[in-house]
Amino acid sequence: MITVRLPEILDIRAASPLAAELLHARGNPLTIDASDVAKVGTQCIQVLLSAHATWTADGLPLNVAHPSETLLDALETLGIPFTKISEQESAK
Amino acid sequence: MDPMAAIKQTFFQECEEQLVELESGLLRMEDGDDDLETVNAVFRAVHSIKGGAGAFGFDELVEFVHVFETTLDLIRSAKLAATPAVTKTLLRASDVLADLVRAAREGGSADAGAVKIIADELSALLGGAPRQDDDGKVSVDSLDFEPVCISLDSIFDIGEPEAPATQDFILRFKPAVGLYAKANETLRLLRELGRLGETSVECDTTEIPLLTELDPEGAYLCWTIHLTTSAPEQQVREIFEFVEWDCELSVETADVGKLLEALQESLEPHEAPPAPIAVAELRDTSVATDPAPTSFAAPSDDHPAAARAEAAKGEGSGAVQATIRVDLDRVDRLINLVGELVINQAMLSQRVSEAGLSRASSVAIGLDELEQLTRDIQDSVMAIRAQPVKPVFQRMSRTVREVASMTGKSVRLVMDGETTEVDKTVVERLTDPLTHMIRNAVDHGIEKAEDRIAAGKPEEGSLRLSATHRSGRIVIEVADDGAGINRARVRQIAVDKGLIPAEANLTDDEIDNLIFLPGFSTASSVSNISGRGVGMDVVKRAIQALGGRISISSVPGRGSTFSMSLPLTLAVLDGMVVTVGGQTLVVPLTAIIETLQPKKESVHELGSGARVIATRNTFTPLIDVGAVLLYRDEPIEPTSQVALLVESESGAKCALLVDAIQGQRQVVIKSLETNYGHVHGIAAATILGDGRVALILDVDAIVARPRADMIVADMPAAAE
Repeated sequence: MITVRLPEILDIRAASPLAAELLHARGNPLTIDASDVAKVGTQCIQVLLSAHATWTADGLPLNVAHPSETLLDALETLGIPFTKISEQESAK
Repeated sequence: MDPMAAIKQTFFQECEEQLVELESGLLRMEDGDDDLETVNAVFRAVHSIKGGAGAFGFDELVEFVHVFETTLDLIRSAKLAATPAVTKTLLRASDVLADLVRAAREGGSADAGAVKIIADELSALLGGAPRQDDDGKVSVDSLDFEPVCISLDSIFDIGEPEAPATQDFILRFKPAVGLYAKANETLRLLRELGRLGETSVECDTTEIPLLTELDPEGAYLCWTIHLTTSAPEQQVREIFEFVEWDCELSVETADVGKLLEALQESLEPHEAPPAPIAVAELRDTSVATDPAPTSFAAPSDDHPAAARAEAAKGEGSGAVQATIRVDLDRVDRLINLVGELVINQAMLSQRVSEAGLSRASSVAIGLDELEQLTRDIQDSVMAIRAQPVKPVFQRMSRTVREVASMTGKSVRLVMDGETTEVDKTVVERLTDPLTHMIRNAVDHGIEKAEDRIAAGKPEEGSLRLSATHRSGRIVIEVADDGAGINRARVRQIAVDKGLIPAEANLTDDEIDNLIFLPGFSTASSVSNISGRGVGMDVVKRAIQALGGRISISSVPGRGSTFSMSLPLTLAVLDGMVVTVGGQTLVVPLTAIIETLQPKKESVHELGSGARVIATRNTFTPLIDVGAVLLYRDEPIEPTSQVALLVESESGAKCALLVDAIQGQRQVVIKSLETNYGHVHGIAAATILGDGRVALILDVDAIVARPRADMIVADMPAAAE
């Protein structure tokens, strides 16, 4: 089990490093700690969506733990259900 | 500067760029380019100006741009053909738009009459389409229906009659990569939509690839948004105003949407994702290339929207280049510093050679490398200031249109080499002389239509404006296909005005160049176009002030060509360093034809103390620079001197006597006017390697002074 802690700022500049970091963790069950997220843009959410799709394809679990209000709010605004980025529902 | 003013300034800078885009697009259309992308580029330019103008509340501007935009929209949607007459009107509209932008920037107001005329012409093109009246509202009387009062109370039970009616919209929104790259954010757009009313957002995530294939900065998502709002459609669209080139967007009212959806389903029962026909036009450039532009259905290949957007950018208004805006002062400071560096480097080399170090010593070699580097830096810095002449050239097309319509002539301006680059100062100071020459060419050069037909020429006159680089200078030519210079008349006028003696024997070229003499004007009646009290001598002086020269060649019945040769930069100069009366002077190398050692038998005295020197079977006036600059009172013996055969901007040749030649070098020009004041015969100053100031000779002033006295005396000598 690998845990990746998301940075505070997930704007367009954070998208490539995030994708690289997640790709690095591929092949292992993954927990993404999203408690710090204070700012998030659509492209980082695309990365999270892609990561979830990738882990699902690999048959491995990927969970987003402790999503911050900011992240949940962004997902809601964008009309993206939490289950599209995480296997388990938010514990909130 | 307060932030608002800074944003405004950026807006106006962008306006300038858009206006250039607009005009070049329209000119392409005038040339018969009916590519939809050209029309789109023109539309985009106008639209961007409208967006900013609206944000800053330039109402007059917005009102005009709106009519302009609507007309372009009709052309874009092929409801209005871009006939030559239409493009002419559009070009004039772009002129008015430029005036309005300038008025908005300078806080003045544009010529309301001209604005109204063009606005009316545009409205006439719009035909039956709804027109805006003065307060910017769509006037009901221009719509094709009778308003009828219908009571809804009996149909719907409306509890609160004052409550605004709400409407359901279905928006389909697919951002392209560019949207995010330009720091726009879907989240913000959706939040703003949310403020208009109740929304339900669905996100289509099916395009998202696996991580290995993902471009983290790509755009894979698209949204369907159901919005219930009391706001009008316009307001809904406005939210997307600044991103509409970077996304696919359709806005439908729900009932139409449902109908279309039902229709679609009945036609293609197996196609799962709804692919309704967008009622509103998709304001995406893909309209031009997509064979099925009305379909919003997600295409099957990988990043098609992104690819298309990139492609459209590439082929549209020229490839997008990464640029930064820099304050001109900063560039000038940098150029100044590099100038100091060059001087410093020269001083250092001189110290090293004075110290007696051999050329092969490592210090000397290092210095050579430093010199090379300094030159490279200087060239690169100069390149920053280099600007294409395009903006000036484009301004000329407006001048041609205006003068042609004033004189009732039909003239076509052909431009060549507009991307040729030259120093920004040169570009800026070219406008006035060029405008004058263009006015002159249209007003006097090109004949009236009936005369042209009689002469067997096409009715439409042609004016060619071209720029080329030639041996380190830029050559700009203005060529018309008019009647050419009437030499007999020019000669007569010059004689009448006492500019030349009646018996002077002049070559055709010399006669043509008479028009540059001060006080010469061929127009027998002063027209309000070119006869504004300035003659070609003013043009000549303006060009000379830029370190350039101008000449004319003319073929009777075939037209005239004015050709200007200008330095690429005003910051450095290749010069010959000479000694005169113990002083060091720099003579611009471009003026020097050859150097020679005067022999006693080749120098001839003319009566009034003037001397000429015989070189290659012609007599050239001999000028003692030391005497002209009052370095010495006594006339000097020419045989002990060196003569520099120079050619002034007017083409007049002269031999300048100097004591000795020190060598050639590139010098950094320091303005004398800015730091001290104008000195006759001196163009500028420079600092030499030993730290001393050397004056740069103004060859023209030196040559022109005696020539003015001698022009009468000189001619017979030349005829000898």
